[in-house]
Amino acid sequence: MSKDGSSFAYPFVLQDAVKWARKNSLWPMPFGTSCCGIEMMAVLGSHYDLSRFGAEVVRFSPRQADLLLVAGTITTKMAPVLRTIYDQMLEPKWVIAMGACSSSGGIFDTYSVLQGIDEIMPVDVYVPGCPPIPEGVIHAVLHLQKIIDGDMDRRPAERPSYDEALNAMSYRKKVDVLEANWRVNTDGSVVPGTVASKERV
Amino acid sequence: MTAYSKNAAFLARQEKTNQRLRDKYASGALAEGRKLDFDSIGEPVLWVKDGRDLMLVVKMLRADPAVSINYLSSLTAYDNQDRQDGPKRFVVVYQLFSTTLHTRVRLKLAVDDGEAAPTLTKEWIGANWLEREVWDLFGIRFEGHPNLRRIMMDERFTGHPLRKEYPIKQREPFTTNIPFHLGANPLPTEK
Repeated sequence: MSKDGSSFAYPFVLQDAVKWARKNSLWPMPFGTSCCGIEMMAVLGSHYDLSRFGAEVVRFSPRQADLLLVAGTITTKMAPVLRTIYDQMLEPKWVIAMGACSSSGGIFDTYSVLQGIDEIMPVDVYVPGCPPIPEGVIHAVLHLQKIIDGDMDRRPAERPSYDEALNAMSYRKKVDVLEANWRVNTDGSVVPGTVASKERV
Repeated sequence: MTAYSKNAAFLARQEKTNQRLRDKYASGALAEGRKLDFDSIGEPVLWVKDGRDLMLVVKMLRADPAVSINYLSSLTAYDNQDRQDGPKRFVVVYQLFSTTLHTRVRLKLAVDDGEAAPTLTKEWIGANWLEREVWDLFGIRFEGHPNLRRIMMDERFTGHPLRKEYPIKQREPFTTNIPFHLGANPLPTEK
């Protein structure tokens, strides 16, 4: 800023300044659903202290957060809730999948658990571990800062269609949901589903 | 009895309860069709005849000062698909507890597929969610339950996943949230 009050800035300098500001003031939205949430509290607490790296303002409102920290098992019932939270966050936004469950489903390869949150949203950094050590999460945040520094324009995520989500959750092959309406007779024989259609919102 | 509890006073109380079950609940004309077992740690397992018999036994146990059962610890079920425990498909398990004597009584009720078990929500209000869970995962209906709908799986889910036939990796994705509602049967109101 000059003496007479007029301002000047070169565009690339401003862009670098925005990158610098964004990477050093990540506001995390914690989404802790299980034991990784406890470890995330340790990361945010005074001992490991994520605020040393600028990510100190933990916002429980997705409208005010940059960084979605998904820590824990995401069930298929919780998946649309998590996706809604992701949609409510303003661009630019980043996602860290913390732990084995949110990265890949972990040990829960069952009927009720999402096999990694990358089936419903793009993920920037995966943190391995069950749960990861706090240093691992700090490393992920530092790695994310490098990502932000390198490439600011990030493609916004698209919401998956029902068929895409279905294919993702059934090992990339389409499951006929009507077959889920099976019955079992008293002698133990299985009758395949007969319900013609099931209304889904 | 076992290594896990060597408290002599407790063992005496449990033995007294067991004796009471032998005398009053598993013998006599009323006990036709019941069966009293003891599991590997010596706790009593009373197989009741049917749903009406279950309600009778529960009411008797609650009114009986000698056993003084007053608490429903757990209510669950298992899939008797291989018919090791009788000819019926499912077995509903009621784990009862006495908070004064610290003794336990387990009731087992065999139900067939499509057959309903009676609800215990009139006796213990805490049975409400437990019975909803059993309905959700096994598909056993509870007759007279005030709010019988899914509690763990999404309400749009089809099938009952803890049945042995259910393919363990068969997932049903939902891309939208389900709006909050109280179901077809609203919560019971205080009277």
